[in-house]
Amino acid sequence: MNQTTDTSPILTVENLSLRISQTDILSGVNFEVKVGQFVGLLGPNGAGKSSLLRCIYRYCAPTDGRIMLFGKPIDTYSRQEYAKHVAVVLQEVPEQFNLAVFDVIAMGLTPHKPLFSSTSKEDKSNIEAVLDRVGLLHKAKQVFSSLSGGEKQRAMIARAMLQKPSLLIMDEPTSHLDVRYQIQIMELAKSLGVCVLASFHDLNLAGAMSDHLLVLKNGQLQAQGEPNTVLSSGLLSDVFGVCADVSHVPIANDDQTMVPHIRYHYGYVR
Amino acid sequence: MNRLTLFGLSIALLAASFQCALGLGAISVDFAQVWHALLMYDSADLSHRVIVELRLPRAILAFLAGSGLAMAGLILQTVTRNPLADPYLFGVSSGASFGVVLLFALTGVQAGLALSGAAFLGSLLAMSALIVVARSQSSQQVESMLLAGVALSFLFSAATSLILYWSDPQAISAIVFWTLGSFSRADWQTLWLPALVVCMSLFCMLLFRRALNALLLGDESATTLGINVTKLRLSMLLLSSLLTAVLVAMCGGVGFVGLMVPHIVRFFISQASFSGLFITALSGGIFMLWVDIAARSVLNNQELPVGVITAAIGSVFFLSLLVLRNRSAAQI
Repeated sequence: MNQTTDTSPILTVENLSLRISQTDILSGVNFEVKVGQFVGLLGPNGAGKSSLLRCIYRYCAPTDGRIMLFGKPIDTYSRQEYAKHVAVVLQEVPEQFNLAVFDVIAMGLTPHKPLFSSTSKEDKSNIEAVLDRVGLLHKAKQVFSSLSGGEKQRAMIARAMLQKPSLLIMDEPTSHLDVRYQIQIMELAKSLGVCVLASFHDLNLAGAMSDHLLVLKNGQLQAQGEPNTVLSSGLLSDVFGVCADVSHVPIANDDQTMVPHIRYHYGYVR
Repeated sequence: MNRLTLFGLSIALLAASFQCALGLGAISVDFAQVWHALLMYDSADLSHRVIVELRLPRAILAFLAGSGLAMAGLILQTVTRNPLADPYLFGVSSGASFGVVLLFALTGVQAGLALSGAAFLGSLLAMSALIVVARSQSSQQVESMLLAGVALSFLFSAATSLILYWSDPQAISAIVFWTLGSFSRADWQTLWLPALVVCMSLFCMLLFRRALNALLLGDESATTLGINVTKLRLSMLLLSSLLTAVLVAMCGGVGFVGLMVPHIVRFFISQASFSGLFITALSGGIFMLWVDIAARSVLNNQELPVGVITAAIGSVFFLSLLVLRNRSAAQI
């Protein structure tokens, strides 16, 4: 799944630490996201995945260390400027207030539009283009809450794409989706042509989709690198406490590209 | 429904409602006479004086109160992402009532700017208490705000009841009449204040339309769209408390409009659009104009309290809309 990538980093995280009420949530995290990369973030529950992403999308201020976007510390960007570079897809979705799918997608225009401005014809065609891209154009006028789980997630990705970001952050984008939608959402994210940093619970999905993996445990980065080398039975037993075999299998329709495949042996590591 | 059609319909309805509000009442005045009074005012003509000096300021106040309360409701529902939010739920109205009742009881003042000032101070007190409680837990800001709002509402109601308990019977009847709501205190001298506050709120709401919409996504998502969520939420809360305070001071307790009107409008048009916000404000105003017409004309020679009518009509209309919507959903 490796692509030829430019080596310059879009995002650099240096020695990042986060401490909340005397508890270390993250400590000494270092990594880079390079141009064109799809980076998967793994770790057991409570490992600090969401907190790390929150620091990057500026919902949490780190206690120590620094995060740089295009070589500039992220706190030097204004809120709007940062939102033009970094878009985020979370689990939050607007379930009430009878919002139409079109209106939810249009929220992606927020960082680009000055106060009081209306939605122009060009904006409308951009919205239709992203809706078409995620296959929801025919549902533009429907109420958002009437969409299925997979459609909601695709709509939220379309909303993020309207921000025209360089980096797309996704926090567990495939939770609660069935296996077909999981692959569909991931393929969609990969095809957008932007850097992606996504946290996962499904290790097989993360291994198959990512160019680079980050593995967190107790707020510290345990391993990082290419999925075929990072995902090993030793790491799975250390980080997740499970017994598993890791083999390497080709992906559908491409015998040359090998991805890790994990087979769990039920029962725990003693 | 097409947005332009809805917009045109609302404007036509507004014009017709104003016409009725000026024409109907103890002295019935026909269409032509209303226009005559407005365009060629003659102070010697009694019907002209009734229209221009009594009914017009009253109709304008009713319209402003309706729009203002609908906007306050919409703002509170949006910033808390709670469709049940309205100025009453947050203790803002109870705070304003407390301020007014305290002023009544202490000084006997029953009109003027002092009343608005007292209402504003009361609602500011409620709002400050709310913000102090909500600030400490930023991750659960909305939940703590809602709980604190309900608690504050009860606290201020208790304080108001205590003042009533200690007041003399004459003051009690004046206070009770005031809390039931009326537009009869409307006059040209004091109308500028609600007009200014309502226009300013509409302007702010349209100005921050996109940011307000983004809040509906959730606090974290709104932050990632470049919005300072805490600052926006607090300033919008202050705006809605200013609106409520001024309107409560002018018209007394007029409940249910802030909760109901945004919901009814949402059945037809998305609140996320420019026209959605505008139509919410317009519909609130039109609704209140008709409430006032009803208050003046249902009983002969007697005026009904506005608050009673808003609650009665509002709840029945709202319930029937809910039933209709559930039926149409069941058919799908």
